[in-house]
Amino acid sequence: MSNYKSIPLEERRQLREKKYKKHNLANILTHWFNVAMWLLLLPTGIAILSSPRLGLSPVWWQELYRNIFGGTANLIRFHYTIGLIWVFVITFNLLIGFRRYFVPFAATRMLLDKDDIEWLKIKPLQMLGFQQDKELPPQDAYNAGQKLYSYVVILGTLGIMLSGIVMTFNTIFPPVLKRIAQPTHWVSVGAIIAGLMIHVYMGAVFPEEKEAFFSMFSGKVSAWYARAHHEKWYFLKLQEEVEWEDKVESEVREATEDRQLSAHPQQPG
Amino acid sequence: MATKKRYGFVINVSRCIDCRACLVACSVENNVPMNHTRIWVHDLGVQGQFPILQREFIPWNCMHCEHPPCTEVCVSGATYKDPDTGLVLVDQQACIGCGFCVDACPYDVRYLDEKRGVVDKCNACLQRVEVGMQPACVATCVGGSRMFGDLNDPNSEASIALKNATNIQRLDYENGKVDTDPNIYFINSEALGEEVVLQSGILPRPPQYHLEEVGWKKVLVPAVFAAIGASFLVQATFFTKQLLEGEKEFEE
Repeated sequence: MSNYKSIPLEERRQLREKKYKKHNLANILTHWFNVAMWLLLLPTGIAILSSPRLGLSPVWWQELYRNIFGGTANLIRFHYTIGLIWVFVITFNLLIGFRRYFVPFAATRMLLDKDDIEWLKIKPLQMLGFQQDKELPPQDAYNAGQKLYSYVVILGTLGIMLSGIVMTFNTIFPPVLKRIAQPTHWVSVGAIIAGLMIHVYMGAVFPEEKEAFFSMFSGKVSAWYARAHHEKWYFLKLQEEVEWEDKVESEVREATEDRQLSAHPQQPG
Repeated sequence: MATKKRYGFVINVSRCIDCRACLVACSVENNVPMNHTRIWVHDLGVQGQFPILQREFIPWNCMHCEHPPCTEVCVSGATYKDPDTGLVLVDQQACIGCGFCVDACPYDVRYLDEKRGVVDKCNACLQRVEVGMQPACVATCVGGSRMFGDLNDPNSEASIALKNATNIQRLDYENGKVDTDPNIYFINSEALGEEVVLQSGILPRPPQYHLEEVGWKKVLVPAVFAAIGASFLVQATFFTKQLLEGEKEFEE
């Protein structure tokens, strides 16, 4: 149980000074690349969606972007080009880092366990103002909400990429695929956006999670933050640290023994 | 939709002899593939009781409707009603050839060009009209059945012909929210008096909407907007609370 509130002052100070690495450079760069591409693709994508029957984007927005880019065809071409760059880089990064980053990430940080299920039962109610006295179960490097959202993002990204490729290379795909691709593209983006609002708010604005935002640049969070929000992960890190200390100690011990042996070689009998 | 010009066709049905020169001229002018056409002539067959018999041919092409159902379904805005000319055009650089519009057109005047993967249709030979010529079908019409011009301009050939005619009919389609208000005016035979000949039952047909598009509109849009709305509310509540309470240092 997360009883971090009982940690005394002196220990808290120490924990705040200590840093743990949460994100590696590959993840950080891919994350911010993704952000940049979404900032380019989302407004242009919304501007393209001009069907009055669906009524999904305001007319002034459509006209603004058509005027900026000089017509519908140019706007769509821009969306295609940026989209293809996005698809290529994300796929490339994933393939390159598949065994080194993605597989361990999926195996250690994405799977839901019993605590996560419990968290999912309590947290939504707490947000609505119920069960305030209940304690949340300890969480991994990512909490259950983040874990669930990661599935939405992965499936949504796949949906966006595949349907986008169908629409970009429209001459080689049959009309029925092109018809399915359009709602698929939109729903995938919509599902990601629904979570993205919480993701951006929690990551960049919410005061308690401020460290999470800066960790997306430095890759590091303080031990205090880890202890308070990601307890299981914190103890995992602690365990790693203890193991490392043991290893270093035994290494040093062996090295000194060796040196003593070579300095004072034992005389044969 | 009020447009600067309102280009439209006036077709004198009694002058059409079913020679189909307009079909050929159109296909040549616009490089229409052999297995498609942008223009049709419908034979109503022999009508009436002997000895008073009547045979009519109805030429038609895109009606360049005032409220076209085809542009309503286009997701990317590749097909649109041009605010300058009033013509319904397809920007084939923007079209991905999904075919939503092909089935939404009550007059079935659109086709999917399989080779180029885009939708094509009558553009009233805009390339000719822009330099002051008549569309190919009008220029070639031997009987003078087809007329073309700006219906907003009372002095255009089409407007004058319309003014002098008595038995005018349009193939309007009106049902619920869809009211095409087409810009092809048919002048029926004077001999028939008030009787209307265009009752073929072939045109117009109700617009057909694909499951992908209807499902998107009816199911996916409400579902996704509900999700995004809920998410926004949660975020906004916490943000407001944060703004009201202020931030404490050493909180994290």
